[in-house]
Amino acid sequence: MAKPASGRSHGKRREPEINLLPIMNLFCMIIPFLLLSASFLEMSVIEMTLPERIGTTGTDITNLARSEERQLQPEVIMTGERMFLRTVFGTKPVCNVIREERDGKPVNSYDMQALTKALEEFGGKLDREFPTIPVRMVTILVEDDVRYDNIVMVIDVCAEHGFDRPGLQVETYEVIQGRLDSLFPGGD
Amino acid sequence: MGSPPSKRRLPLLLGHGKNKALRRNGDKKVSLNLTSMIDMFTILLIFLIKSYGVEGQIVTVSDALTLPVSGSDGKMELNLEIVVTKNSVIVDGEPVVYVNEEILAGRDSIPVLVDRLSDHMEYTRRIRGIVDAGKYMEVNIRGDVAIPAILLQRVMSSCAVAGYSRQNLIVIKTEGSGE
Repeated sequence: MAKPASGRSHGKRREPEINLLPIMNLFCMIIPFLLLSASFLEMSVIEMTLPERIGTTGTDITNLARSEERQLQPEVIMTGERMFLRTVFGTKPVCNVIREERDGKPVNSYDMQALTKALEEFGGKLDREFPTIPVRMVTILVEDDVRYDNIVMVIDVCAEHGFDRPGLQVETYEVIQGRLDSLFPGGD
Repeated sequence: MGSPPSKRRLPLLLGHGKNKALRRNGDKKVSLNLTSMIDMFTILLIFLIKSYGVEGQIVTVSDALTLPVSGSDGKMELNLEIVVTKNSVIVDGEPVVYVNEEILAGRDSIPVLVDRLSDHMEYTRRIRGIVDAGKYMEVNIRGDVAIPAILLQRVMSSCAVAGYSRQNLIVIKTEGSGE
């Protein structure tokens, strides 16, 4: 029998193959490069407002002081022994200081769940009593030696409840105690 | 006595001479399955492209500086960097203040730090020719978790006095927060 005109054999047909080598080469180049430039730790920022006593012009602070938001903003007071939440509705103790281990060292810590509960309560009351005034500011008044990570934790909890414009104020034990004594004359 | 074992009994089925090798070895077809490897590389590639970062500042890992963790999702911008550890205050990579009892006992701004920050602001204004200096009046503060509040406040006060009206605290973003 004569062969087909094309001269091609009708026997086994070779299966087409995709050459994966170039893509493998490409991957081998790209992956180490990306591994080196990948950032596995993501940074973010917390914008802080100026401490109350410091002002560049003074005008802004005066304006803020007069604003309704400023009058309604909560104040989280952190001392070496307890945490308080001072609001327009009154001041209440939130929690006592707990000793806990962080990085193998015993440090002072605060009960953030208790703060969450207190802020939820305050937020609900604020919405009912002053529904037209949005309050985003919060002052964090701390004693000199309160650790920075505790402050960040409090800022975080406040932000979760909508108070995402924190201001930091640091005072001595005597000043804070004096303020608390005036709030709790009975010595609570 | 048999012939010495061949160094390459199996055909090399990759690259040049592959067909020749196949022909020589008849039906002994041994091939390396690259599909699974390609799958794995593709997944890895997607993950790495997602976590690829071309912006931001370089983080120097040190024992003295452990950043706090936060759920905040504020975007970090390139600003003047102040590192505050238990031992020193570093501005733009240069130690300016060594923390001691005296520093922790004070309440207002730290004069040396104010001078250094003012110099930096003046330099930035001159070099960049900024008309609207407000845009660059921000500073990034990287504080160690264990620094006392008074040190942070003194640094922040110094920034304010030097004219940096906005201070950003740099934190490590917790997983699952934000995006």
